[in-house]
Amino acid sequence: MKRSYYCDGIRRRDLLHLGVAGTAACGLTLPGLLAAEQAQKSRSPNARDGMSLIIVFLQGGLSTIDTWDMKPDAPPEFRGEFNPIDTNVPGIQVCEHLPRLARQFDKFALVRSFTNPNSDHGPADHYLLTGYRPGPGFNGGLKPNNQKPAHGAVISRQLGPRGSVPPYVCLPKMHNSAGSSYLGSSAAPFVVDADPSAPGFTVPDLMPPVTVRADRLDSRRSLMNRINRFQKTTELAANRGALAMDTFQQKAFDLMTSEATRAAFEISAEPDGLRDEYGRHSLGQSCILARRLVEAGVRCVLIDHTNWDTHYSNFSVLKNDLLPHLDSAMSTLFRDLHDRGLLGKTMVLVTGEFGRTPRINKDAGRDHWGPSTAIAIGGGGIRGGNVVGASDARAEKPATEPFGPEDLAATIYHVLGIDPQTLFHTAEGRPIPIVPGEGRVIQPLFS
Amino acid sequence: MPSPSLPTLRRLTTVSGTVRRRLLLFSCCSALLLAQHRTQAASTEHWNFENDIIPILSRFGCNTSGCHGKAEGQNGFKLSVFGSDPEADYDAVVKENFGRRVSPAAPQQSLLLLKATGQVPHGGGSRIPPTHPQYLRMKDWISAGMPQGSAADPRLLRIEVRPEQLQMAMQQSVELRATAFWSDGRSEDVTGLATWQTNSDAVASVDEFGNVRTGQVPGTVAVMASFLGRVDLFQALVPHPVQPSADELSRLARLSQSPVLFDRIVAARLTELGIAPAAACDDATFLRRVSIDLTGTLPTAQQAREFLSDPSVDRRQKLVDRLLQTPEFTDYWAMKWADLLRVNRRTLGRKAASAYYRWIHDSVAENSPLDQFVSRLLTAEGPLASNPAGHFYKAVTDPNDLANTVSQVFLGVRIECARCHHHPWDRWSQSDYHGMQAFFTQISFKKLGDSDALLTAGTTPTVHPRSRQPVFAHALDQPAPDQSPPGDRRRLLAGWLTAPDNPWFASNLANRTWAHFLGRGLVEPVDDFRLTNPASNPELLGALAKKLTELKFDYRQFVRAIVLSQTYQSGTDATPSNAVDEQNYSRYPMKRMDAEVLLDAVSQATGVAEEFPGMPAGTRAIQLWDSHLPHQFLELFGRPVRETACECERVTEPTVSQVLHVLNSPQIESRLRHANGRIAELCRQHSDDRQLIENLYLTCYSRQPTADEQSAALQHLANAPDRLEGAEDLLWSLMNSLEFLVNH
Repeated sequence: MKRSYYCDGIRRRDLLHLGVAGTAACGLTLPGLLAAEQAQKSRSPNARDGMSLIIVFLQGGLSTIDTWDMKPDAPPEFRGEFNPIDTNVPGIQVCEHLPRLARQFDKFALVRSFTNPNSDHGPADHYLLTGYRPGPGFNGGLKPNNQKPAHGAVISRQLGPRGSVPPYVCLPKMHNSAGSSYLGSSAAPFVVDADPSAPGFTVPDLMPPVTVRADRLDSRRSLMNRINRFQKTTELAANRGALAMDTFQQKAFDLMTSEATRAAFEISAEPDGLRDEYGRHSLGQSCILARRLVEAGVRCVLIDHTNWDTHYSNFSVLKNDLLPHLDSAMSTLFRDLHDRGLLGKTMVLVTGEFGRTPRINKDAGRDHWGPSTAIAIGGGGIRGGNVVGASDARAEKPATEPFGPEDLAATIYHVLGIDPQTLFHTAEGRPIPIVPGEGRVIQPLFS
Repeated sequence: MPSPSLPTLRRLTTVSGTVRRRLLLFSCCSALLLAQHRTQAASTEHWNFENDIIPILSRFGCNTSGCHGKAEGQNGFKLSVFGSDPEADYDAVVKENFGRRVSPAAPQQSLLLLKATGQVPHGGGSRIPPTHPQYLRMKDWISAGMPQGSAADPRLLRIEVRPEQLQMAMQQSVELRATAFWSDGRSEDVTGLATWQTNSDAVASVDEFGNVRTGQVPGTVAVMASFLGRVDLFQALVPHPVQPSADELSRLARLSQSPVLFDRIVAARLTELGIAPAAACDDATFLRRVSIDLTGTLPTAQQAREFLSDPSVDRRQKLVDRLLQTPEFTDYWAMKWADLLRVNRRTLGRKAASAYYRWIHDSVAENSPLDQFVSRLLTAEGPLASNPAGHFYKAVTDPNDLANTVSQVFLGVRIECARCHHHPWDRWSQSDYHGMQAFFTQISFKKLGDSDALLTAGTTPTVHPRSRQPVFAHALDQPAPDQSPPGDRRRLLAGWLTAPDNPWFASNLANRTWAHFLGRGLVEPVDDFRLTNPASNPELLGALAKKLTELKFDYRQFVRAIVLSQTYQSGTDATPSNAVDEQNYSRYPMKRMDAEVLLDAVSQATGVAEEFPGMPAGTRAIQLWDSHLPHQFLELFGRPVRETACECERVTEPTVSQVLHVLNSPQIESRLRHANGRIAELCRQHSDDRQLIENLYLTCYSRQPTADEQSAALQHLANAPDRLEGAEDLLWSLMNSLEFLVNH
């Protein structure tokens, strides 16, 4: 049925309405609905099960002109202080401060003609993380602020969980645009609000405090089942919000008692040497944890790493703080996935929300630059050592066919085996495809 | 152009050059006229681009905000969204790019049509099949040379949807008809050209042809048709198919005979729908529920004991009257107003935010009538130190934001869309929007000592973005003046807002209040009053608004009237007839507690207060004026950030993380084990397990345990390795059960 378009998207109403339409019309309870949804996933014809996605989001905007899209021949006020070095792929060069990554270039590809039409923190993030430019009324400060669902939420909703681990995880915090919007709270991410590089890292609230022994938790749980008056009553079934809490309680216990989940998050089980190789910092340990989670069956991990917004002292900040972390984390992630035979089934995307200004500013920094950026993307069938497209002589704009966040969205769903024309309806009945109409798969990545 | 007729040509060969040319010219012209006449004779159509073509572009989705209607257009082709600028659209279709989009000589080859039918690659796919009558109309229009029409052409007056309303069974269909009425007296069936939408998918759906089909949920629904900016509605009532039982009928009768008008109106609708109300809630439920809804605070065990043992017939009334006078009532409603009025420490700074909050708190404490409260807020001026209401204009600074905020918060009307184009689903135009904005362009701040003073001065003109003509301040639905009203324009706005005949002010406040207590507004979302989003029960909304006005906007008296109604005091039990009803107030909804309220409830239940950095000891969460105070629990449970006027900022959806937090958080666990917490205290005070259990139930649920519950708890305590541990487990179980987390 045809629906008309609104100029604003209303989340709360969406959720209420979606629930009513879903549960009441089908006569199913929420758990039943979740199960039914699992059964009717829409898959593209070449659906490949077992594909996972890791997004390393460099929030603030990685300076690609200083890293993997360098312009050594540009005038000094553009080219910057860094020099390029060769990588292990002839013809591709990268910043001298990413020497370890230089030896892994055969594992992933670059798209150097990428462009994000939005150069504003908040909207640009939303655009990249969902494939959709946010419309009027968007407020980047809300959490979640999604007018459209993030990729992980779509994956979670369409493909469901694999085993007892959550299908979509955000770490070490949830990005404001990582939410599920009108897909509802069942597609929302499981958020790890803690830094995996912190000593004694545990997922907050996943386990009861140490004073509550396992047998004590059991006895608490059985007591609660005896006295939880509203559980499994018709009045609960008639109240969606309360019913959802009940369902989530079951889910919570599943997570708490699942050995697989506990093990997946147990980063201390990783060998020290490997943890060192990734780097004993937030980005490094987030990456090793992401690999671990994907091995345990998590379908999408979104790592939100800050702060790449180098308006000031771009070069010293990159050289001394950020690039060494990126170097160890990203190079080891690709090497590790490859060595374990996981790279074919794990797509890895590394990018910020936009690039940075080619002309260096008065503070030895670079400002936001949406028109030209370069994303790194590999695994999941993407041909390694490939460079797709190019930016112009000063990395001001694409010199070849440009690709944008819509195309990235199309590519992600293509690899994950989800039909890009899949439609979800908002509360107002507006059908929204998971990829905006213009988005097309970045084919050169696969040839 | 057809060639001159043969006889004329023959005549030309026998005369001189100049005459020949003149004759040729004359004959060409006459031939042309002849040709035109023939064309017109063949098609009596007189085309008008706006009336004939724009609806087609709307109907097939060309000019929506997802495609060519968006601000930057799509692939170089930009149309005005919802056809709001026919002049610009005509240029875009016919004139732009050297007219390459249309080919009158070969209409079917027009790029416009090739794209629309998907015969050439088109991001929007195939929008319309080439056999469709509207495709053929577009083709004819192009053949006719793409006439634009003239200003003298008929204008659309209105559309009508028929039938207007029906009572329908579930899973039944009806075909709606939309008729357009033109200024030349003509009427036209536009069913296939209108855009159709339903406001309740669950109750009924509508397809693009105006065919309505009801679902499996009883209730009311409004189906709207839109054509060339005019709208009309069809409303359906879908009753529950099963006859109510004798018990249900007697409950319905009781509600119909209530002395409270609200109840009788609710009963009338339920009767129409064949839905029975739930049985009334018991005293314990009422106590807990009304305490939370009025004061955001759980009753104490002692208060519960007293109320439950009060034999007086009017004990519920006395309870309500007591609650209305508590400091907690003031704290809770000050918090709610602070959310809407944006007491935001980040934008205002500590001192200003605190002073702003204090003014709101004082106003609630002294029970300022709401119309005066709003008036004072809007017209505040002078030094902020003595006029803290003026901080509103520091929290919301941009006149556009002020127009949006004042409309959304005080009128419940979202005019934001109309800033850039005609509002898609309501009647507001850009002129209306900018008329509202113009009330706020006189405000400036001047430094006065160490704070600011608010001044109103000047006549900065507001300019209509398209016509570039000045727009003078005028409120929604008021005529546009031809000059700026003198003086502080905000006073005019405040006067209009709070006037007895303002159609929205009282309804909006009444609706929001009803939504707070009964879980759902008559208009939902509560800040979205619109022609095409009618109240589910207009009579009830009217009665509520009237009550609020009659009470002269005395808020405490108003909420008192609501909570003493039978409707509010329904239980939560679902019966077969009301199990799927979420619209008609047949039963009280179970609501997850607000973040602040839940945090306070946890503190109260465990007997350990939360410590908020920078706040005095003993401060409760509902007293926090700083919405940006970092706090994991409050953020997790959806505390609003106070950056927009939207009610939706407060997130009430449950998440797995929330549930995990209450199950496992070390902060809650340490409260359970606290040496001076409730468990430790109770274990010291009561050696009898029964008394301990009773106290915990009264604390958490405001009721006595049942026999089964008591024996389960006794058993647990007896088997626990340690009495303290057993008691901690019991409180943990009580707090994690839905009965605690949810207001029921």
